[in-house]
Formats: sequence, structure tokens, C-alpha cells
Amino acid sequence: MENKIIYGVTGIFDTPDEIISAAKQVKSSGFERFDVHSPYPIHGMPKAMRLGASPLGYFALVFGLTGAFAAFALMTYLMGYDYPLIISGKPFIPIPAFIPVTFEVTVLLASVGTVLAMLFLLFKLPNNSHPLHDTDYMKKVSSNKFGVCIEAKDEKFNEAEVIEFLKSIGAKDIEVIYYDNEALNFKVNIFEWMFVAFLVVSALVVSGATYIVLNKLMFAPPFNWMMEQHRLDAQVESKFFGKGNFSMRVAPAGTVSRNSNQFKFSGQPELADAKLINPLIPTEENLRKGMKKYDIYCSPCHGYYGIGDARLNGQFPNPPSLHSEKVRNWGDGHIFYVITEGQNSMPSYSSQLTNEEKWAIVLYVRALQRAMNAKEEDVK
Amino acid sequence: MSIEVLKEPSVIEGKPTFVEIDEQISSPIDKSPNIKYLIALGITSTMLLIGVISIGATFFYGIGLWGNNNPVGWAFDIINFVFWVGIGHAGTLISAILFLFRQKWRTGIARFAEGMTIFAVMTAALFPLIHVGRPWLAGYLFPYPNQHHLWVNFTSPLLWDVFAVSTYFTVSFVFWYIGLIPDFATLRDRAKSGVKKVIYSILSLGWRFSNRHWHNYEMIYLILAGFATPLVLSVHTIVSFDFAVSIMPGWHTTIFPPYFVAGAVFSGFAMVQNVLIIIRKIFNFEHIITLDTLEKMNKIMLATGSMVGYAYGMEFFIAWYSGSQFESFVFINRAFGPYAWAYWIMVSCNVVFPQLFWFKKIRRNIPIMFVIAVLVNVGMWFERFVIIVTSLAHDFMPSSWAYYKPTLVDFGILIGSSGLFFTLLLLFIKAMPVISIAEVKAVLDGAQPHHHTHNGGRNGK
Amino acid sequence: MKLFFNLFKNKSEFSRKSKSAPDFEKMSAESRRRFLALMGATTALTATACKDYRDKGEIISYNRKPQDVTYGKANYYASTYRDGSPILIKTREGRPIGITGNDIHPTSKGKVSIQAEASILDLYDPERLKFPLKNGNKTEWKTANQEIVKRLDEISAKGKEIAIITGKINSPTYAKLLNDFAGKYKNTGIYPIELFSDRNKRLAWNACYESNEYPAIDWSKANVIVAVEADLFASDGVPPEQINEITKRRSGEKAENFNRIYAIEAGMSLFGANADYHIRVRPGVYYSLLLAIYNDLVVKLAPFGHSTIGDYSIEKVVAENKLNQKKINALLNDLLNNQGKSIVYVGDNLPVQLHIIANFINDILSAYELFDYNSSYVEFFKILETSEIENLIGRMKQGEIGAVIFADINPAYILPPDFDLQGALKNIELKIALTERENETSKLSDFVLPINHPFESWGDYQTRKNIVNLQQPVIEPIFDTRQKEAILLSWIYGNNAEYSFDLYHKYLKNKYLEVAKQLNAVDFDSFWYSALHDGFIQLKGNEKNITKPKLIILRQTKKPIEDSGISIVLKKSPLIGDGRYSSNGWLQEIPHPVSKIVWDNYAAISPITAKRYGLDYKDFKSSVIKISIGSKEITMPILLQPGVAEDTIIIELGYGRKEAGTIGTGVGFDAIPLMDKTLSVVLSGAKIEKTGKKYKLFATQEFHKLEDEYLKDLHRKRQLIQDGTVAMYLSNPNFIQKQRIMTEEEIDKHSVNPPHNYPEAKWAMAIDLSRCVGCSNCVAACNVENNIPIVGKEECGNGREMHWMRIDRYYSGTSEEPIVSYLPVLCQHCDMAPCENVCPVVATTHSTDGLNQMTYNRCVGTRYCANNCPYKVRRFNFYDFRHRFADGYYEQDSLELLHNPEVTVRSRGVMEKCTFCVQRIAEARQGAKSKGKEFTGAEVRTACQEACPANAIVFGNVNDPNSEISRLIKHNLGYKLIEILGIKPNVTYLAKLRNTNSEDLT
Repeated sequence: MENKIIYGVTGIFDTPDEIISAAKQVKSSGFERFDVHSPYPIHGMPKAMRLGASPLGYFALVFGLTGAFAAFALMTYLMGYDYPLIISGKPFIPIPAFIPVTFEVTVLLASVGTVLAMLFLLFKLPNNSHPLHDTDYMKKVSSNKFGVCIEAKDEKFNEAEVIEFLKSIGAKDIEVIYYDNEALNFKVNIFEWMFVAFLVVSALVVSGATYIVLNKLMFAPPFNWMMEQHRLDAQVESKFFGKGNFSMRVAPAGTVSRNSNQFKFSGQPELADAKLINPLIPTEENLRKGMKKYDIYCSPCHGYYGIGDARLNGQFPNPPSLHSEKVRNWGDGHIFYVITEGQNSMPSYSSQLTNEEKWAIVLYVRALQRAMNAKEEDVK
Repeated sequence: MSIEVLKEPSVIEGKPTFVEIDEQISSPIDKSPNIKYLIALGITSTMLLIGVISIGATFFYGIGLWGNNNPVGWAFDIINFVFWVGIGHAGTLISAILFLFRQKWRTGIARFAEGMTIFAVMTAALFPLIHVGRPWLAGYLFPYPNQHHLWVNFTSPLLWDVFAVSTYFTVSFVFWYIGLIPDFATLRDRAKSGVKKVIYSILSLGWRFSNRHWHNYEMIYLILAGFATPLVLSVHTIVSFDFAVSIMPGWHTTIFPPYFVAGAVFSGFAMVQNVLIIIRKIFNFEHIITLDTLEKMNKIMLATGSMVGYAYGMEFFIAWYSGSQFESFVFINRAFGPYAWAYWIMVSCNVVFPQLFWFKKIRRNIPIMFVIAVLVNVGMWFERFVIIVTSLAHDFMPSSWAYYKPTLVDFGILIGSSGLFFTLLLLFIKAMPVISIAEVKAVLDGAQPHHHTHNGGRNGK
Repeated sequence: MKLFFNLFKNKSEFSRKSKSAPDFEKMSAESRRRFLALMGATTALTATACKDYRDKGEIISYNRKPQDVTYGKANYYASTYRDGSPILIKTREGRPIGITGNDIHPTSKGKVSIQAEASILDLYDPERLKFPLKNGNKTEWKTANQEIVKRLDEISAKGKEIAIITGKINSPTYAKLLNDFAGKYKNTGIYPIELFSDRNKRLAWNACYESNEYPAIDWSKANVIVAVEADLFASDGVPPEQINEITKRRSGEKAENFNRIYAIEAGMSLFGANADYHIRVRPGVYYSLLLAIYNDLVVKLAPFGHSTIGDYSIEKVVAENKLNQKKINALLNDLLNNQGKSIVYVGDNLPVQLHIIANFINDILSAYELFDYNSSYVEFFKILETSEIENLIGRMKQGEIGAVIFADINPAYILPPDFDLQGALKNIELKIALTERENETSKLSDFVLPINHPFESWGDYQTRKNIVNLQQPVIEPIFDTRQKEAILLSWIYGNNAEYSFDLYHKYLKNKYLEVAKQLNAVDFDSFWYSALHDGFIQLKGNEKNITKPKLIILRQTKKPIEDSGISIVLKKSPLIGDGRYSSNGWLQEIPHPVSKIVWDNYAAISPITAKRYGLDYKDFKSSVIKISIGSKEITMPILLQPGVAEDTIIIELGYGRKEAGTIGTGVGFDAIPLMDKTLSVVLSGAKIEKTGKKYKLFATQEFHKLEDEYLKDLHRKRQLIQDGTVAMYLSNPNFIQKQRIMTEEEIDKHSVNPPHNYPEAKWAMAIDLSRCVGCSNCVAACNVENNIPIVGKEECGNGREMHWMRIDRYYSGTSEEPIVSYLPVLCQHCDMAPCENVCPVVATTHSTDGLNQMTYNRCVGTRYCANNCPYKVRRFNFYDFRHRFADGYYEQDSLELLHNPEVTVRSRGVMEKCTFCVQRIAEARQGAKSKGKEFTGAEVRTACQEACPANAIVFGNVNDPNSEISRLIKHNLGYKLIEILGIKPNVTYLAKLRNTNSEDLT
């Protein structure tokens, strides 16, 4: 057989008393790298093997305190600082209410943390490839026998001597344990086709599932996120009036709503020109208001100074200048009429502007006209 | 574990050897299921199916399928939750508290009770999730970073529940699993078939019975027991906060925490009692789960039962003493109002019948104790019914009082919950050692050194 | 598989390939890159799958935006509902979504009937007729019209009559139109039929004063109001106006001029429930009692032109009928001491004789000082007297009538079978029904023509002499319907006329051209414009003319009602009227103001009589009885109603419809068959017997015996209702404050935490229980404003009604002489809301302006908040009720238009409750911001507040020192519900005052 690497030598004992004494002798004869195996913990064994105290207590303490602190800090931050909400008129950081959760988290971290630490740090589990597994020795000690195992790593180790020694302390069926070669000189090959196939398949499955769940299943009944509600907001399509159809209706002709105001002169600019008088006086305040509204609603086409230099660079026909002879000779009423009713390709601005605002604009337009061709006395 | 073997009759009768122990305990696992087992499994899984259907329907159509109405927002859902959490209390109590008290007789039943704890808590944990109106949003109950920047409300007892129950489940599970590791290793080395071996290898994490490990192992067991003890008390305390923290008359009571814990232990022991009596018969564990053990459990039931009885009385006293007309109304209404029937079922099952355990004859008479245990479980379920439903049905505003009537779906879910519990239990019995092999071995006569019993050398021969 | 096992490698029988996870150290850089690439691809693939592809819809805006529409802002149109209530229709982007009263209207004072509040639902009712039917098959308007006109011509050529059967006509233009119709078809008869109307009142008035127009009553002037079988708050006269005016004098604000209400009635009507003295009298006794009162007054006052009639005396009547002597004496004293300030009002539908007596009593009391002749009640077509109906039907039978046009009326239901209308219609060759939805009559007609809802119609209504209400459409017909006037008009114009939606609009305007002339308005356009804007036109009223009625008329009266066997009083339902509103789910589901029964009617009977017949009503299970008068008989469930006279049952009509669509059909029981050809609503000599059957009669409140010692007066013991008499209050204004257990200050003193302060605004509400009459208008308004779903009878029975606002009704006293208290309950928005701290997902929290808010999207539905709410105002969506109710009847597309876009439409599994109309608060706040004004909240009004005809509800910002609410929360009648809990609710209730002599309380 090809040369195997030796792990250690094991011996079996029958009764608890024998194993205790055996453990004492092994220890006293200077072996360090040895272990005793028994189907259940035997009292006095730690003493016999001269094991130190278990460190787990300290683990528990540390984990526990961490849990307590983390829980309390988290709650304080979330409720007091991250998103404070008035809840039942309580203060933002209601300490008493934090106690239960703090306690639970403490216990959780302490116990789970300690256990994991023990299994994975102290015991280095899981480890199913340990040489001792699947030996007759292990089969015995897992059921009804007690055994000692002296490892080859021990500097005093010498196969023949150890076997003798074990015989001398009354061990039965002594066994030499070897490492498993294949296990030792095994090389990873992640491009093994099975592994690759596994990755691809899992990727497809995961993504497919995610898509179906997130975009289909989650929006089939009974799931309801109140995203589509059985109501109509402004400017949405309405199932009732049919596809691509308004949810918004136009009130029947001739009806009068409470916030509509009558314009008597619709279709009669001359009449408006004659009848309407500007109620506002050209104070600075009024002019400012007029300017504000003019710049918002009028200037895009008429330009800031009413010379018809639209900022829409040609997407919309440029209007004529407001300084034309014609417009200058219009009465205020006429300008008001045009703002209200629109003219040619200019739409009505009634729904954007209140009457007062319209009159303010009229004032401002007048001011612009005056500024454009100022007379002598204006300069003085 | 570190149980001093005193000069008292062994908890294990008929001096078996280690090998016999292995044989007996792992026999349910080795043998292929017999017809009795299959019938049992058939029944429980049918119950489970009923539950699944009922829950499915509820999930699809909404809570409206239940009997809950406007004043009575909680009914069977929360009743079942509290009931099963209560059942879950016996396990950890037995394995942790009795362990700290060095009660050797626990070894026979500890593993099993722990198993029940876990399944009971699993069943219970179901209800907080399914009782909500939009179960698909149950995730909101957990604090996780989300785009709403909205967290959970740490002042809500319901949230404390979430933490308490999940912690309790995790810790009990760890406790249980730690106990199982050496037994898995034993089974691994006894296993004939490959698959079994693989499974047990995985489960045993490659345990090697090394005494360097046993040394820490005992320590962790002690630590876990130490943590589990306050935990087990805290869980039902917090569950009781669900009610005690509210302002409803009949809920807003300081007596609730101890009262609930006592009740939980009470019902938990009753349930363990019931199941053990069956198990020990079927798998003839009579000499491991001894009559003495059962009697001791009866004593605990007697004690807790009396505590519960005391609590009932005290509630009435406080209701009168507080001078709050709402409070006193609710309690008088409980006893004499439309729900009086429920109240008197509760009292008779929880307070009257357990008193029979004062008599040793009855304590040691298996059929009778079985019946009483069943009654106790019924009674404890009704206790939750009385607390939850009657308080809500007749609260402050007489105008919104209403009588609660459960629907078939409610019962379907109730049946389903026990279906789930018992199905898991049956599978557990078949798949894992229901009695801790290592522990039992450790408490056998002559298992420990320096005690020269007459069979001291016999083991291993 | 292998790979997984290898992770837990096991020597025995597994290949020793890959040892757990791949070991990067051992890998070449090359292969590592490839490995990472592989992993990267995987994650990328998964990530893409998480993308959300769903279509979010698109924006469609106006092509040409109407000038007065602003996106997302409501627009209001003044109009009129079919019952004549002047209303404001709230529209959003041209869709009607709500109703409020016309605030500037002189008579209605911005108050409307509960039917008008809920009417918005009818507009979008999916079961409205969508096209004309001929013999049940779809047809076109054109063809239908052509054929009808053709056949009308033939019929009139044959000299046969064309009968237009219609409801009460209170539209002058419609009246004119009908005359025009009669102008075209010479032999046209116009027959207005009503089951409930003021016919008898008018006849009596006419008999006494030779005038057809009886004056309105200025209730606010009356100190003493005596109503005989008249439910002034629910079904007689114009309830919203009467509530408004009467409750003006019933408030703790000005307790000294509190009025006193006497209700003499057989049952317990809403008015009776609010009366200071409820005098229960069998209907057979009304006549003698009234005459006794008359005689008593004559004796005591010896007024000119009056003398005692017969030997009716108080002592005798009281003794014979075991009436409550104390109450009767109080009544007589009050009448004597309040001449000119007291009035006796007899129920509209009672026999003429009783009205005549009342007129004489009022004459003695010189009640004319309360009469408002200026706005008398007018009538354009006399409503048929029963004899006329009989003769009409007789002529139908003889075949003298060739065509019948049912103009929006349902005689097949409202006329008792005795008339045998069905049989009569058999020999009518052309039967046309103009109706909004199929009904009993349309089923008997050859042509069924769908007509517009009022909100789609032009029109005018005139019930008062001095005022015309205009009706304008706010949306063009959403189905292929036309308004009935326009249909008739198009027949008048004949086939060559082309129909247009404007047809009747023009006709209407023409009618008002001359009106404008009479009122000498300068230019018609602005006249018409402002008329439509305001919604009404003021006209000239009548002068006061006080003539004395001739005693002979009184002498001629004889006892109209026998007092034998079981007496039955048939009443109009306060919710669904005479059945014309029965397909409105909201109205069906609003609990009956007195009995709190939903979705049903019943025979109200006194507990004592019930016991005699072995009948009971427990756990919503009611015994069904057989009621028979001669050969007529019906069966219906009973209700134990405290306050009902012995040997008397009260039944509300309008139920048991056979053709009222999905909602209305088969709801309740039809009692009309009990009526005879006199259409009298008071019947006697009936027999009842137990059938042994049980019927589920659901109410929103549990019933218990008033005598039950343990439950008796619980609402008072728990201080939910705190009440006293006016006298008590005037003598000791602080008597309520003395009873309070814990004031806010004490709560703060005991609290470990300092209270949060609300710097900007803090909202609160005050409800004056003395004013609140329990009419439930607020409930209807809340339903409309907040998209409250309809859950149906069964779910109401399961205690799952969804109303955010509920009106609790409590009885104290005995079941013979009960004392009724109403308590409107809505979310109290407690400062220390117990619902908030129990919600695990912070779905309900407090806003910075003191509102208790629900975050629907966050709510998972644990129902913990509802459990912990002491007021039980939280409502849980146990189902998606819109989907659940009647197979998603109210989930159909047309209902989309109904729902208020400013309020979430809640899904199933979500908790909901009153929000203090937070959407209105937000709107007001934005308004103030955009105007650059500081936001005080003075303009915010909640839906219930607007709707309350009694103005019992006041809402506002307590931080605003000059708001009314900041004054009311300190009012010495104010108290909070269940204060001992220390949760500081924000709704203040002003204790209920009863204007009885102190010792009579309880």
C-alpha cells in the first residue's frame, strides 16, 4: 500500500473508572495531543485530563451586552431621530417601551452567538472528514465503550512506543488511524460542468421566478397595493367613457358654475371697447402685479416689451407688436376683451387669469406702449 | 449532564445496558412505520389539509370569512396564538428550569417536551401572520430598511410579540439541536443504509464524543438553561402585554403576566402529559418515562392550576375593588352575561377538575390523568376565549356591543393548527430520538465513576 | 445534488470531488476572472428580472379647457333635486361627485334632504336604463319617437283620451309644457298621483280659508309645537328646513328661549323621539283628543266665533284611553300660556277632518302670527283625490283611454291592488313609461323611455309662492337618455323636429323671458346668468289675509278613524320615501333614525302588546306576524319599539319592491296591499296573528329590554349621554361640569409625560346634543365625501357596517314612556389616542395639527387599534366590500366617476375611520398659501358639519382665539366621552337639554 500519513493511535476501555485512570496516566506520562472519547460526559474527566475552565461564559457575556446595547441604540435612533412620530402623545423616546425588545435581543444574541462560537470556533465543526470517523473505534465510543486517542502530532509520539504504552495501561483492541490521502491531495475544479450547469440553471430559475412574482403574481388578486384605485384623478383615462377617452367632462352649454364669472361682451369687441373701463389705477403695486402676470403669460409670445419677439423660436406664429398704431388706439376694454376671448391664434386666458389680473396686465401693456414712444413731457 | 447521582431510586427502571438504551430509543427510527402510525399520520395530515384550505380561502377572500366583527376584532386567531404559545412553554420549562433545579426525572421527557415546544411555537407563530388583513404585507411587522424610511412601532405590544416569539423559537431550537448533536452522532455510527448515514452525518456536524468537547458542551448547556429560564417567563409575559397594555376593561390588568405564565405552564404540561402517555405505550418506553415522572407532572399541574384559579378569583376582587364600573361590568358579564357558558367551562376545566390531583390514587391513574389533561387543554383554550372575546364584545360603548359567532372557517383553522402540530410531532418521532440517548446513559446506574453499584462493570460486556 | 453533499464531505461512499466552496487562492488569475464573470452574469440576470415593467397609464388633458375648471379643484353648480331641495352640486373636472345645500338659498339655508345627499349614487347607478325599450327590446330614440307620435295621432284622431300620469307637479314650466301637450292632443288628461302628499292638508285649508295656498310656518317663532302623528324631522313637510328652524330654539347656547315639543302619536317617530313630551295615543283617539283640546281651549278662553263641539272633554278622553294625565295637562297649560306662539300641526297624510280641527285650534291660539303667507305652498295641478283615481281607472277599464304616459311615476307599486291598475292597463293600446330605471310600472308598458337624472336635466321647481328654484345639468347624459320634458316636447313638435339636448333648455328660457319682464330685469342674459348662478329667483309672495273659518265646517266633521281591533299607521320611510329611492344602496344602509334597523322595514309594536301575542325580537331574530284587514293580509316581522301605543302597529312603506333592480328588489315587506281605495294611511280593525316563523331583522345596535336592571340607563351611568332639563341648567349652569370626573388639566397633572404642543393649528369638534335630532344626514354626507362602501344587509348583521359616522340611540325610562337620546359618534382624535401605540407598523399616528391619522398603505390590518378604541369608531375592511356586495355591483365602471378623487378608495384588509375630512383641511391650507394669507382654518367645514340641518356640529381650529370652537370647548355644558380614561378626546359634546319640568326627567 502507498505510504499513508498516520493520525494517531487509539485504545478502548470498558468502564468509566478505567477510562478515568487511563486519562490520568496518559496525561501524567507527558502526552499533550491526546483526547478521550466517551458516549456521554463523564464526571471528573476534565480534572483527569487537566482541562482548563471553559471560556464560553465570557463569550455569553460579550454577546449579551452587544445585543442589549445594539437593540436599545437602534430603537432610540429610529424612534427618536430617524423618523420621530407622535404616538399616543408619548415622548419620542419612550424608554419603558424599549425594555421588552432589549431583553429579547439580549437573550437571542447571547445564546445563539455563544452556541455558534462554540461549534465553529472552538470545535471547528462541521467536520465530517475527520480521520476518526468511520473507524471501529468511533463506532464503539459512540455507543458503549470509552477510548483514548494519542495523536501523531504529539512530539513524544512514536507509533511502537505509544501502542506499548496503551497496552500497559490496559487498553483493548488498539488501532492505528491514518489520514485519508484522497481527502488530502484533492484539487478544486470549479469548471466541472455540473457546477457550471448548476449556476446557470439556478440563475435562470431565480430570475424567472423573480420576474413572475414581482411583475405578475404580486398584481393578481388577492394582492392589492391600492395602486389602482376605483376612482378618477384629474387627466386620467376613464374605463367608463371608453378607451383613450376623457375622465374629464365639459359642463353642458349654458350652465353657470359658482366660480365662473360672466363676460357680457363675448363676440363684441367694439362694445367691450366702448363699455369697459379699467377699474385699476396705475399704482406701482398694480403695475408690478401686471408685469408679473404679463411676464408669465404674455411674454413668451409677445416678448418682454411687447414687440412680438416670441421666445418660442418659430414653433408658433409670432404675434404682431403691441405698439402698432391699431393697438395703441384700442381702448382698455378691447385689450381686456382680447385677453378674455383670445383672437386669431391667441387662446383665451380666462382660466389662468382673474379679472383683476387681466386689468393689471392692461395697465402694464399701456405702460409699455407709453415707454416705447415716450413723449417729451414724459422725460421731464 | 451534571446530575449528582444521589441515593435515590434511579429514574430509569430495569437497569438496561448502554446498548439496550441505543436499541430501544432508536427503535422507532429503525423500524419501518407500522399501520397504527400511518393511520395516526393520516388523521393529522387530513386535519392539516383542512387548515391549509381554510387559511388559503381566508388569504384570498379576507378576514370576513371569520366570525370577527366590529367590536370583536380578535377571536379564534389570537386565541389559537396564545393557546399554542402556552403549550410551547412546557418544553423549555422542563429542559431548562428543571435542569437548573437538578430534577433527574426530566431526562426521560426533556427532549420530547423540547420538540413539542418547537412545534407548538411554529404553530403559534403562524397566527400573527395570517390574522392580518393583508397577509402579503406581514413583512411590515419586521424592522428592515425600506424606501419609505419607515420603521416599526417599538411601543406596540404586538411588535414585542414578534421579537419574543421569534427569539423564543430560535433559542428553544438551538437548545434542542445542541441536545440532539451527540445522539445524531450515535445514530450516524449505527446507521446501516447510506442515505441515513449521510443525513445523520450532516445533522451531527461530525461530532466525535471528544471529552475536550463534552467539557464545553456541558457549559453551554448550563448557559442556555440559564438564558432560557428568564426567556420562557418573558415570552408569555409579553404575550399577556398584548392585553395588559391596552385600555379595554378585562384586559387592562396587572395580574396578567404571572397569570398567563402559570396558565401556559399548566396547559403545556397537560399537553406533554397527553402525548407522552400515548408515546410510552406505543413505543414501550414505560421504564424510561416512568409513572413517577407522570405523577410529578401531575403535581406541577395541580400547582399551576391552583395558581390560575387564584388569578380568576383575584380578577373579580380587583374588578370590584378598583371601583371602575366598566371593569366590574365586564367581569359580571363574563360570569352571567351571554358568554357565561364559556366562562363556566373554563372554570370547571381549569380549577375544579385538576383539584382531583390532590389524591395520590388519581395522580397515578393513567386513564384519569389523561382525561383531566385533555380537559385542562380545553379549559385553557376557553380561558383565552373568555379573556379576548367577552372583553371586546361588551366594552365601553353599549351602542357597539355585538355577539361574536365563529364560522366554519374559524374551526377549520383551529383544527388545522392542531393538525400541523401533531403531524410535525409524528414525523419527529419517526425521524429523531425522542429521548436523549446521551442523557439517559449518563444517569444510568454505574454510568459515572466511583459508584460501585453491583452492575458497575456490566456495561460494555 | 452531489455538490451539496460534498459540502459535508463524508468518507464512506461519496466521491471526494470539490471540497466545500471553491478555493480562490489555488485558482489561476485566468480562471478566477472567468469564475467571477460567471457569477457576475448570474447576478445581472437575476437583477434584470426584478425590474418592474408595469404600465402606469397616460395623462389625457382637455383639448380646450373650460374657463372655470382648475385641475384638481372642485367646482360648484347651483341646482335643484327632484324633491325640490335647492342644492349645490360639487363637480371635479366636470363630474358630479357630491351634494351640498345651496348656502345662499333663503328658505333652505343650505340644508338638503338626506335623499338629495345620497342622490349622487343614483346618477351613476349601473342599472339605469341606457336606451329606449319597445316591448322589452332595445330600440332607437328616432324610431321609438316616430312610432309613438304616429300612434298618439291615431289615438287622438279616434277621440280617445291620452292620460299623462305623473307625480306631484311643482315645476311651472313642466306644467306649461303639459298644457301645451294638451294643446296639441286635445283630449289629453293630466293626472298627478302621489301616495304621500299634502293633499289633505290643502283640502282642509281650502275648506277653512277658501284658499289653495296654505302658508309656511315660521317654526323659529314657535314656543310650543304640538305635532299630531307628524314626523316634522323625517317625513312630513320639508324636514331639513323644519329641523333647522326648530332646533334654532333648542340649544344650550340660548337656553332661555328653548321651545317645547309635544308629539301626540301612535308610534315613535323621529320627531317623537326628540319631543320633550311624547304622548302615545292610539290613532282612533286623535279625533276625540283634538276636539277635547279644542273644547278645553274654548271653555278656558271663550274666543269669538268658537264654541264647544260635542261632549268631548279632556277628563273623558284621558280616562277612556288611559292617557298620561300629567303630560296632557302640561300640554294644555303651555297652549294657554303661549297664544300666538304655539301651533298644532297635524301629519300631512292624516284625514282632512283632523286637519280642520287643527286649523280651528290654531285659530284660537292665533297661530297665524307664525304663518308666513309670503312663501305659501303653491300647487300647479291638483293632486288627484282617491275618488278621481278610482274613476280614472274605471275609464281605463271601459276603454275610454287610448294611451297612458307614466311620467317618472310608479303607480303599479304605490297604488294598492284594490284599484286593479294592472287589469285596467290590459285594455290600453299604448302604454309609455318615462323612467330612470325599470320598475313595476315600466314592466307593464309597451314603450320604456329612459330619462335623465336631475343632475343631467334643465328645469325649475316652485313649491313656495315667492321663490323658484332653477335646475341646471352639470354633466351631459352619461347614458343615451333624455329628460322627460324634452321627450314630451319632441312629441309636441312632432317628427319633423330634430331632438337636441338643448330642446328643453330653450323652452325653459322662453318661459322665463316673461318672468324677467315681470320682475323688470334690464337684460335677460344677466338676469338668467345670475339666476343660474344663485340657483333661484325671488318672486312676489302672498299678502297676509286672516279670515276666520266658519264654525259650521268644524261641526260637520265626523270621526274619521274607528278605534277598533288593532290599528295600523302607515308611514313614509324617512330614508327611501315611498319606495322611489329604494335602489340607492346608501339610503338602504343608513340605519333607521329611530330603530337603527338597516335594509328592512317592520311592524313596530309595543312590547306589552307583543307579549300578549307571544311575539319577540331577540338577537336580531324577529317573529313574523300575519296582519289582516278583512280579506287583505300581509306577513312581516315585528320590532319591539318602546313608546308605541298598545294595540297599534306602525309600518313604513316604500319597501318590498318587486322591480327595483339588484339593490331595491325584495328589500323589506310591502304593506301597501293593506290600503283600501281611500288611500288612508291610518287603518283600524286589523287582526294580527303569530306565524311562528322567524326573520332576521338586522340593526346596528343590540336590543335589550329597558326593564333589564343591569343594563338600564347604562349610557347615563357611563356618562356617554349627559342630560338635564332647561330649568336645571338655568338655575345651575355648571351642573354638567360638577359631574365631570376628570378634566384635561387633571389628566395633564397625573400624566408622567409632558403633553405635545401643536403650534400651528389644532383641530377639534363640538357637537350640541340638544340640537342633534339624529336625522342621519351627516352619515349620508360622510358616505359621499369619503367613499364609504356599501356592505349589504348580511354584513351589517355581522356587525361590519362601514359608516365612519354613526348616530347612537339610547332609551331610558320605561318601554311605555321611553326617553330617547341621540349621540353622534365619530373618531374623537384623542391627543393620547390609544389606537396609536398598539399599531405595530405605525400605520396610525398623530399629525402635527392634532389629527389622528390612518396611513392606509402602511396598514396591514391587525385590528389591534380597533380593539383598543374605546369609542369603537374604527372600521375594518373585512372584505373588498365593493367587490363582495351584490357580485361587485358597486364596482362597475360607472361608479369610478362617483368616488371622491381626494380620498383613498380603501382595499380589503385595511382599517379606516373618520379623518375630520383631512382632504378639506389640506385644500383650505393650500388655498390660504396660494393667496399668501395666514392659515387660520376658519373656512374649513367638514362634510357632516355642512350637512347637519340643525347646525349641531361645529368644527375648527382651537388655536384660533376667535373661532367658534375655541369658545365651545370651554362651554359649561361641554363634556367628553369616557373622560376617566385620560386619553383627551378632541370632540366636545354639549350636554342634552330637555325642556321638560325638571321632575319629569328620566
